[in-house]
Amino acid sequence: MRFGGSNLVSSELNSENKTEDNKMENKKILEMKGITKIFPRVVANDKVDFEVNAGEIHGLLGENGAGKTTLMSILYGLYRPDGGEIIFDGGKVEFHSPGDAIKAGIGMVHQHFMLVNKMTALNNILLGYRTPKDPLMDYEWARKRVEKLSKTYGIEVDFDEQVINMSVGEQQRVEILKALFRDVKLLILDEPTSVLTPIETEKLFKALRRMSEEGLTVIFITHKLKEALEVTDRITVLRRGKNVGTLITKDTNEKDLARLMVGREVEIVIEKKKKESGEPVLRIEEIYAKNDRGLPALKGINLTVKRGEILGMAGVSGNGQKELEEVIVGTRKVEKGRLIFNGEDITDYGVGRRVALGISCIPEDRIETGMAPSLTVEENLILRDYVKFTKNGFMDFEIIEKHAEKLIDEFGIKTPSPKVAARTLSGGNIQRLIIARELSRNPVLLVASQPTRGLDIAGIEYVRKRLISFAEEGKAVLLISEDLEEIMQLSDRIAVIYEGKIRGIFDREEADLEKIGILMSGGFLEN
Amino acid sequence: MRIKVEKRLETPKIVYIIIPVASILTSLLFVGVLLLAIGVNPLEAYGVMLSRAFGTKFGFTELFVKTAPIILTGLAVSIPLRAGLWNIGAEGQLYMGAFAASFVALYFYPPIIVLPLMVLFGLLAGMAWASIPGFLKAKFDLNEIISTLLLNYVAIYWVEYLVYGPMRGKEVYNFPYSDLFNDYAILPRFFGTRFHVGVIISFLIAIAIYILITKTSYGFAVKIVGSNPKAAEFAGISRKKIIVSAMLIGGAIAGFAGMMEVSGLHLRLRAAVSPGYGYTGIPVALLARGNPLFVIVAAFLFGLLYVGGSAMQTTFGIPVAIVDVFQALVVLFIIGGDFFTRYSISFGEKGEKR
Repeated sequence: MRFGGSNLVSSELNSENKTEDNKMENKKILEMKGITKIFPRVVANDKVDFEVNAGEIHGLLGENGAGKTTLMSILYGLYRPDGGEIIFDGGKVEFHSPGDAIKAGIGMVHQHFMLVNKMTALNNILLGYRTPKDPLMDYEWARKRVEKLSKTYGIEVDFDEQVINMSVGEQQRVEILKALFRDVKLLILDEPTSVLTPIETEKLFKALRRMSEEGLTVIFITHKLKEALEVTDRITVLRRGKNVGTLITKDTNEKDLARLMVGREVEIVIEKKKKESGEPVLRIEEIYAKNDRGLPALKGINLTVKRGEILGMAGVSGNGQKELEEVIVGTRKVEKGRLIFNGEDITDYGVGRRVALGISCIPEDRIETGMAPSLTVEENLILRDYVKFTKNGFMDFEIIEKHAEKLIDEFGIKTPSPKVAARTLSGGNIQRLIIARELSRNPVLLVASQPTRGLDIAGIEYVRKRLISFAEEGKAVLLISEDLEEIMQLSDRIAVIYEGKIRGIFDREEADLEKIGILMSGGFLEN
Repeated sequence: MRIKVEKRLETPKIVYIIIPVASILTSLLFVGVLLLAIGVNPLEAYGVMLSRAFGTKFGFTELFVKTAPIILTGLAVSIPLRAGLWNIGAEGQLYMGAFAASFVALYFYPPIIVLPLMVLFGLLAGMAWASIPGFLKAKFDLNEIISTLLLNYVAIYWVEYLVYGPMRGKEVYNFPYSDLFNDYAILPRFFGTRFHVGVIISFLIAIAIYILITKTSYGFAVKIVGSNPKAAEFAGISRKKIIVSAMLIGGAIAGFAGMMEVSGLHLRLRAAVSPGYGYTGIPVALLARGNPLFVIVAAFLFGLLYVGGSAMQTTFGIPVAIVDVFQALVVLFIIGGDFFTRYSISFGEKGEKR
């Protein structure tokens, strides 16, 4: 039953029309009733009722830790609920594994892709699928089928390309086709836009609308209000594991959604006063560096970060940001070029020496690089300065504990004690721990890589204010972020990175989203 | 009934105590079944073990004599383990230490310098042997489990070659032994038993290592590398230096164990200097979770097994190999028990129909 089929031929439907259709139709494809999921110390889902109509795009909105992913993981068979029931496509279901869910017609595209890098797109799509000629692979049949799907939904992929050579956006399209190939009725997308450029995001939204027109149901998990408003028909908001309301998208707005999400009025926009920036703190001169696979990642970067400014670096992740972060910190070797810090050539300095000079960093991989998970909170708080906390080679545990108590208090790190393993903290608190450590070192330069990723609205507010006040103290900040809004809000100047090169630098006044978006995706500006 | 297995968000401390204790008990149970199968009452057998170790002066001092080298090999495994490395090579490092010490004992003079030089050469030989896998790991990321394990055989056969060949003694009737050491190359003994000064030194080393790895900045750096090598690099710690140095310290301690065994116990170099103490160090380190003070405790358990094992052999004719079986079981259960630190298991009320 494909109720949108005929419309596809005539022309593009606008979304309002479609909402009307849905209302008339109003057939529920999914009902989750009283879903409860309890983790130690946390009720991730508290008697959540969640309903999705057939053929709609349903936004699932909430802050990190609100229980969105848990709820969807239960639906997808990754977790077993402690209570409640699921009715899908007219019958009660109980999934013991994702395999069960896929069989029933539910597909999920995770935030982290589950693709085999060294295989082609087509092989990835076919992975685990039995073609009609099973046990032989029927590539002919499969290719036809995939091409048809690709055309129907406007999802373009080079099927013979290996995944390893694909952009993140393209990989995501492979994931979506993989799900569609298995005849799903309901597709769950977990924060799909976090890895996309503005242009790719537009493309994705177009494809989602096409799916909806074709009668597919989409659940779109996000914490970005604007996107939820742009693409969905209805939105369900979760807060602290509870469903706090399901709204019709066109009858709501950003402010109401934010209030529902956070439970109080929030300041969505934080303004940074324009400041005259001072002396250069860090000069990056013609830096070349390779990535972990030995391929060129930085191809002649030139950049200057000045005292008192926040220099924002916009770009889709994977274009050399992480390598640049590591080159500045000192954990990645420079092939060519120089780093000048306060007039001193630090290109050949080790990490320790740079730390001592006053270079701090909030690394992109918090848990992988930023902390030692099995060490305690207080130990993690001195991780980069532990030598300073010794007396004749012996650790001074008294001062370490005092230091920790001070920072826990000042930065509001929620932990039962300074002596628990850092890995038991929540993501947001790990973030606070790292920020506390890096800022309390009283550095001259802070490299902040995706500093608000994974934080809730209150946390984002906090970190942004902290960065601004840090710059206002006359320090320099290099802010690397995929979140363009964040870049636009905080930066004094904005640099755009694409494939290891700086493609443009703007003062904030002359920067606009469109220009940046074009440069981010490899385009050029006409002069 | 429905069994639910779920990932733990955090692990209660008690689990870390229950797992080693349960592993030991389960291993005793399994060995008990094996004993039953060959017609021995396990309770009786375990009783003999205990009474041998605690019932006589000889048995009691022997318990210490057997425990001492296990403490050392346990430390030799523990220190690299804290840096995230598996030193399976304590056995080989022990043999090289025994060889170097014996060489000094047999061929060096004047007598006054021999004992100190035996200690020094024992330490250095163990270090040198451990430096090979350490260096290969740091430089080429070669798997240290394989390199340390394989080097054991090289060391063991090297010592065998020597005692069958160039170093075989003149008055040993074709046994694979070197000549007996002179008195000045022998560690002092006490109480008219085999309890030698090396036992006391072993305890002191364990305490020193405890201080080194829990109180000093070096120990802290090792801990960071063991917890997250990337974070260590980020903190300005050279992962390579820590890897090599942790292996060197481990090797030195194992080398000292070798010196101690030839100079305190065998009084000569011989084939089979160690009945596998280097391997025993692995379950000891695992049971102790790398903590040197707990290493002492765990080493006593295995010392008891070695003493009791020979008692069981003489009383019931059970091969001492039963000790190896027990060791292997403990390792298996501890590694298996790790599952419970990461997952919790609960039992549902009733089955649900599908």
